[in-house]
Amino acid sequence: MDANTNGLKMDFLSSSMLNSSTSMEKISMIVNRVKNGDLVVIEGGLTPEEEAELIEATMREIDVDNFMGIDIYTLEKDKKSFFGLSKSKIVGITIIGPANVMKAVKKKSNFLSMIANLGDLNASMH
Amino acid sequence: MPRFLKRKFFKDLINKLFGNDKKLKIGFYGHPNSGKTTLANRMTNDWIGKPIGLVSEIPHETRRVYRQEHVTLSHDDLELDFDIIDTPGIATKIDYKNFLEFGLSETEAKERAKEATKGIIEAIKWLDDVTGVLLVIDSTKDPLTQANITIMGNLEARKIPFIIVANKIDLPEASPDKIHSVFPQHTVIPISALQGEHISDLYQAMVDKF
Repeated sequence: MDANTNGLKMDFLSSSMLNSSTSMEKISMIVNRVKNGDLVVIEGGLTPEEEAELIEATMREIDVDNFMGIDIYTLEKDKKSFFGLSKSKIVGITIIGPANVMKAVKKKSNFLSMIANLGDLNASMH
Repeated sequence: MPRFLKRKFFKDLINKLFGNDKKLKIGFYGHPNSGKTTLANRMTNDWIGKPIGLVSEIPHETRRVYRQEHVTLSHDDLELDFDIIDTPGIATKIDYKNFLEFGLSETEAKERAKEATKGIIEAIKWLDDVTGVLLVIDSTKDPLTQANITIMGNLEARKIPFIIVANKIDLPEASPDKIHSVFPQHTVIPISALQGEHISDLYQAMVDKF
């Protein structure tokens, strides 16, 4: 949440920025922002181990009155293969935000729609 | 194959997979209220005659890890000796207000929420120590959740064998086929831990997989 505008602050983190950070730095970067009420959109995804660390770090930061945790959503894309035959998917973008802000999320294989709840204000993004 | 050869083959296989000195520790993972403790109780009741933990309608009833050692599963002349590790449900968020719907006071609800956060941390830490996992999914809910994906990703990365247990098939709205279609590459066993439906299929899969 941006204190000056009372709006939703969204931070987009590039994969090159994330790749230059250690797992611990990534997790702390995400948790600090989300705990502050911001939405974090990252290019690519976290490793399964990093996701587990993120949940663990979130649980340590939960304050029952002010911070109830996070929601994570991913949008996958087809993995490029040499022969173009691969059907496997990789994570294209990951959206992580405070659970009390990310109210309604509709997800299909190539589409993610989210309603952010900002108290009296409502923001819709696609 | 004669029974004694079958048994020997099975024991050799287990030894090969886990080593002679490594104990089989089967962890129960999944969302809060997916039926982990109901299933763990059914298994311990079936095999050692006593339950492992309390079951309730309120999410996060299991807030610490419960362990039952030396559970012996006998199926089709084969035996599997293991420890059961019943873990708290893994979630990415905990809202104490959800507990108020179940009649808890605000103080009790906040206390339960705090304990639940510790339970989730403990459950994640146990991922380093289990040798096989039953990932319990409520067949009446959407299986494609971040918590399920995170657990499976971690199990695959750690090369821990696991079985997806599509639980609560006794409920009319259950859709175990959806779990099959979402995770076609994994072993999915539809059961009702509460009613005991298809439990023997799960025991067979455990003997095969673990």
